[in-house]
Amino acid sequence: MSTTFTLNGQPVTLEVADDTPLLWSLRDDANLTGTKFGCGIGMCGACTVLINGRATRSCITPTKQVDGTAVTTIEGLDPEGEHPLQQAWVKTQTPQCGYCQSGQIMQAAAMLKDFPDPTDEQINQVMSGNLCRCMAYVRIREAIKLAAADMRGAGQGNEPNDGTDTTEGAAS
Amino acid sequence: MNKLFRSLLNPEHGAPAEPPKVSRRGFLIGAAAGGFTMAFFRPGLSFAQPEDAVENQTFEPTIWYHIHPDGRIVVNIAEAEMGQHVGTALARIVADELEADWSMVELHHVDSDPKWGLMVTGGSWSVWQNFDPLSRAGAAGRMALIEEGAKLMGVKASQCRARNSQVTAGNRSISYAEIVQRGKLSRTFTEEQLKEMPIKPPSERRLIGKETQALDIPAKTTGASQYGLDASVENMVYARPLIPPTRLGSSINRIDDSEAKTVDGYLKTIKLDDPSGTVPGWAVVVATSFHAANKAAQKVKVDWNPGKTANVSERDVLDHGRELIESSDKGALVVNDDGVDDAFSSADTTLEHDYITHSVLHFQLEPVNALAFEKDGQWEVHTGNQWQSLILPVLSTALDVPEKNIVMRTYMLGGGFGRRLNGDYAVPAALAAKALGRPVKLVFTREDDCRFDSIRSPAYQRVRMAFDAEGNPTGMEHHATAGWPTQVMVPSFMPEASNGVKFDPFAIQGAAHWYSVGAHRLRAISNDLANETFRPGWLRSVGSGWVNWALESFMDEAAHKVGKDPIEFRLALLKAEGKNAGSAPNSVGGASRQANVLRRVRELSNWQQSLPADTALGVATSYGQERNMPTWTACVAQVHVSRETGKVTLQKLTIVTDAGTIVHPDGARAQVEGAALWGASMALHEGTMLENGQVKDRNLNGYTPMRMRDVPAMEIEFVDSTETSVGLGEPATTVVGPAIGNAIFAAVGIRMRDIPIRSEEVLKALKA
Amino acid sequence: MIKRITAILVGLGILLLAVFLVYAWEASIPEQDPPSPGNFSQAMLEQGEALAGIGNCQSCHTVDPEQPLAGGRAFPTEFGTLYSTNITPDTATGIGTWSREAFHRAMREGISRNGAHLFPAFPYTHYTKVSDEDLDALYAYLMTREPVNAEPPGNDLRFPFNIRLLQAGWKLLFFEEGRYQPEDSRSELWNRGAYLAEGLGHCSACHTPRNDFGAEQTDLAYEGAVINNWYAPALNTSSLAPVAWTEASLYDYLRSGGSTYHGVAVGSMADVVHRGLGRAQDRDIRALASYFSAMAEPGSEEQAAQTATATIQAAQQRSAETLGYGEKVFTYACASCHYNDPENPSTLRPDLSLNTALRADNPMNLIRVTLEGVDNEEGLPGVVMPGFAELSNADISALLHFLRATHTDRPAWNNLEDEIERQRQEVATQTESAQ
Ligand code: FES
Ligand code: FES
Repeated sequence: MSTTFTLNGQPVTLEVADDTPLLWSLRDDANLTGTKFGCGIGMCGACTVLINGRATRSCITPTKQVDGTAVTTIEGLDPEGEHPLQQAWVKTQTPQCGYCQSGQIMQAAAMLKDFPDPTDEQINQVMSGNLCRCMAYVRIREAIKLAAADMRGAGQGNEPNDGTDTTEGAAS
Repeated sequence: MNKLFRSLLNPEHGAPAEPPKVSRRGFLIGAAAGGFTMAFFRPGLSFAQPEDAVENQTFEPTIWYHIHPDGRIVVNIAEAEMGQHVGTALARIVADELEADWSMVELHHVDSDPKWGLMVTGGSWSVWQNFDPLSRAGAAGRMALIEEGAKLMGVKASQCRARNSQVTAGNRSISYAEIVQRGKLSRTFTEEQLKEMPIKPPSERRLIGKETQALDIPAKTTGASQYGLDASVENMVYARPLIPPTRLGSSINRIDDSEAKTVDGYLKTIKLDDPSGTVPGWAVVVATSFHAANKAAQKVKVDWNPGKTANVSERDVLDHGRELIESSDKGALVVNDDGVDDAFSSADTTLEHDYITHSVLHFQLEPVNALAFEKDGQWEVHTGNQWQSLILPVLSTALDVPEKNIVMRTYMLGGGFGRRLNGDYAVPAALAAKALGRPVKLVFTREDDCRFDSIRSPAYQRVRMAFDAEGNPTGMEHHATAGWPTQVMVPSFMPEASNGVKFDPFAIQGAAHWYSVGAHRLRAISNDLANETFRPGWLRSVGSGWVNWALESFMDEAAHKVGKDPIEFRLALLKAEGKNAGSAPNSVGGASRQANVLRRVRELSNWQQSLPADTALGVATSYGQERNMPTWTACVAQVHVSRETGKVTLQKLTIVTDAGTIVHPDGARAQVEGAALWGASMALHEGTMLENGQVKDRNLNGYTPMRMRDVPAMEIEFVDSTETSVGLGEPATTVVGPAIGNAIFAAVGIRMRDIPIRSEEVLKALKA
Repeated sequence: MIKRITAILVGLGILLLAVFLVYAWEASIPEQDPPSPGNFSQAMLEQGEALAGIGNCQSCHTVDPEQPLAGGRAFPTEFGTLYSTNITPDTATGIGTWSREAFHRAMREGISRNGAHLFPAFPYTHYTKVSDEDLDALYAYLMTREPVNAEPPGNDLRFPFNIRLLQAGWKLLFFEEGRYQPEDSRSELWNRGAYLAEGLGHCSACHTPRNDFGAEQTDLAYEGAVINNWYAPALNTSSLAPVAWTEASLYDYLRSGGSTYHGVAVGSMADVVHRGLGRAQDRDIRALASYFSAMAEPGSEEQAAQTATATIQAAQQRSAETLGYGEKVFTYACASCHYNDPENPSTLRPDLSLNTALRADNPMNLIRVTLEGVDNEEGLPGVVMPGFAELSNADISALLHFLRATHTDRPAWNNLEDEIERQRQEVATQTESAQ
């Protein structure tokens, strides 16, 4: 009934049923409503958050499963909301209704760690799990490329705040 | 959007289609919070005490602005935002006349308050409707600031001019911030004074028509924007609906919630008693968390007595449509030129084809939801909604309280596309809150949302053309049948056709084309089986979505029949003569402007280029939806068809639009991008079927809108024009589908007459 | 005449039975007070802990993580349900009164302190290979744990399997007592690996199919087997891994829970890696890697990278030509994580074309992971894969058919939808009983 993890850099303990999807625990118990609900079956990406730095669909992740992890939501990506991705999103005027964009940005944040200079094909593969019903795709692609260039230029200084990535060492 | 639609959106039902008389209300400036608030008066209230009006906020809520002592200009907007960046557009208009420094302008989407009274928000019409009054409001502010600034500098107002939040006289100047800190701005402008306010000529505009960033966007990148789903109040509980097997006519025999009781947090299942008839046969499952409500809902067993449409299928609706078309006495003759029958009986040859479009879901990304509660006799409904005045009377009936005791609070919309014009989802939330005596937030799962959607009706159409011996058209008939949204939602708004039959203009708009084809007959027929089975909805571009599929596919077939190039064939018919000559101010130039975008798209797309095997270009054009407010649009699609799999790959879209003056170029481009991809998505990726009275696809495992990887290359161009500015959000939706269908024909010689175009069907046709 | 023959046969039978009873009877070893912790050196305790990890004792002997080693875990078998025993040094319910001798006998001969024969679900058939020194260290470790007073449920076996004495007959047929004998032709590292794997590690207990009597089929050693509703894949030359295992990749897998070219450890294997082997020293992990890499088709690192690239490319190529619904499910629900640059696949984005589960004859592992996901404690630590149980059986079936057809060269699975439904029920009962 209680799950303890790091949420946007702060330790939290949530008293919710173990099988409560993380999405609803975040929205209704941790009061972080930036993470959105679109489909509930893992196929739209609106609910994407980072768990230990990896993009994960929170609507199908039982809260208990994140016990001991570091979770980052759109609210915690950057303390000022000025992560290079967020800046690129504004610069390209990407959001229309905006509802999908938290998930798009979180997915893109994870992608840029694996593919710092993504090709169109890589963007197609990784981002096609994120539905934008307003079809702002042209600009999402543009914004990702802009942010990627920006982050490569800036070097290490712009690491997203996604908690310690405990997994990197495992890839040896 | 159609003028009638605008009037539909007007709070006073039945009012003529014209902007509300905001300017009659006068304007006030009063001190508040160290700065000054500038707002329209609420009619009927005294002009004498601007300070009181500001203090009590008894002014018009649509828009007002506040200048802070630090010079920040906060524009308050009480309108729903759904991706059209309406607040930015409205603020730009004010700021331009105010001569404000745009970097000092902020947008504040206010929460509505009972004292605002009724609110209503439209999409594309907001700018058109508010342009003039907002310009005057900006000008009034500028005038007051100049007068006060002059006083403070000790010069005459006539020597001063305002620019960039500064009042300047010769080499002296004073900032708006300083004027606000030191001045005494409180005053009022009467309706007459406001009317005489000098408005700048277009050449003097410094913000309108220039590139800018939409002010609502930053909050949409940080998770800060508040959508309906984010609403919450003290003591609130969560609910999920149990939706009956048919949209209408179902009733509940028995509810067994014994298993649900094992769910922690489950409270109860409420059988809704709905005097408004909006949600017959519904129940809602209430719990202390959404998770518990959702889990419990899956354990509650309801025994329903289904309505009579429980077995209706997509095929039934389409077959019924065809039968209606075949009975010549049915429907409204929207256009009925003399001599149609003669043209056909004396024709050298004729051409006739039938076209089908299947059910389409809105699938706005935020499933509908609503939070409702009563506090001290006042009801509040918190939800993203576009048309409060449509649903308020329904809520009033449902709750049995006067309309004045119900307030709807506005939130950002996680997509509208017409779904949230129909606020029916607020009704079960309100009924549950009433039954429980406690705030209820009703959350629809995606499956619930799809089952309850006001879908775009399946449509069946037949188009015919008569030709003379030279292959010139001499007459044309277009018969279109579908479920009619306006008929089921607001029947009183249906105009009468020449044969006295009332019709839904949205269900036929786009078919009254500008081609000179001889005698023309256009017949719109309501599909009553569709209307009984589901609530037909207004969905992005509404009827044009199906009408233009038939019209522009047919024009292509006609061109091929008479052996002409599809663009040449169309150009020859866009003569701008007679009824197609156009008229001032909105349709100046008539069909010649449609011909112009068509010629331009031919050039831009390199129409004559040779392409690899099974790859080709197809064209389609449209005037948008309304003959007296046309948005001239032409599109060329490049597709590749795989002969092995039947897969159609959309490689490129070239689109040219003449929408008169473009107010916000980047925003305009975004609208066309989104609309065009919607068109492509509906043609190749979406579409569902009715099955047992309901839509078959209820989530993304079945309903498959376009994704990132499906997006074609796009080239979008606007005609440089100073003509009247018209709407942009929809026309591109309607041309892409037929352009794709026509390109498929050009690529592999098969004619697809149904959308969505499925690879199985393409393969079948290729093998035939 | 017939009567006489019958009488002789009966007499012989009685005689045989008597001989058997004499053979089967084992003496009880007297109880003793628990040894004092001071008896054991720190080094011994550390060694014991590492060995307990390699033997993964706590996985079978623990139900409630708050009460480690207190037993009670159920093992449903074809013969009925067995429950693991309490191996904490509690004197009433655990092994607190067991002498070193009793412990050695149990481990090596499968006989409880009181003389009762143990069921071979307790893998004494392997532990018999363990050296004196290691058993002493393990004894020291177990006797210094926190005693937990907890009586595990009694076994629930059908007749005649509930007759313990019959176990002696089983031993006669399937059990050979004796320590591990090194193979001189092999390296020291390999021999260490073999000793650990065949002894305490009892790896073949899961990876080898069993006969009708529940005994490992030695002629099919490491051919892969279904156990606890998971499929333990073949580790010998029958391995279906598209990229041959190398010593390095095995080391990665056993040490971290995942290998770039193979996938991650889930289910009971996650327990083995993270709870068990996690305590073992690096040297021993390398030894195991050496042993198992020699057992399978040997491959080189360079080859592995090339094969992986070619395999991923082929899968991407085939996927691109596919239109079906399964392809859509994959693209919308899975590809955002399970997509790789063929030249440079990442362990953190496991590429399904390299995944053994997708190539197995039995789809159960893949179905279970699809439904249940991989939690924080499984696979690579910290990587969480959500479960896709919200998708329908038809969705998952389409997805898995697509993956099998495009990401492997193996024949299609049959009856996928039924199997998915079966696993769904399993998962539901599991979670129900866990609550
Ligand atoms: S809401 Fe989680 S993927 Fe759609
Ligand atoms: S911006 Fe509306 S769904 Fe993406």
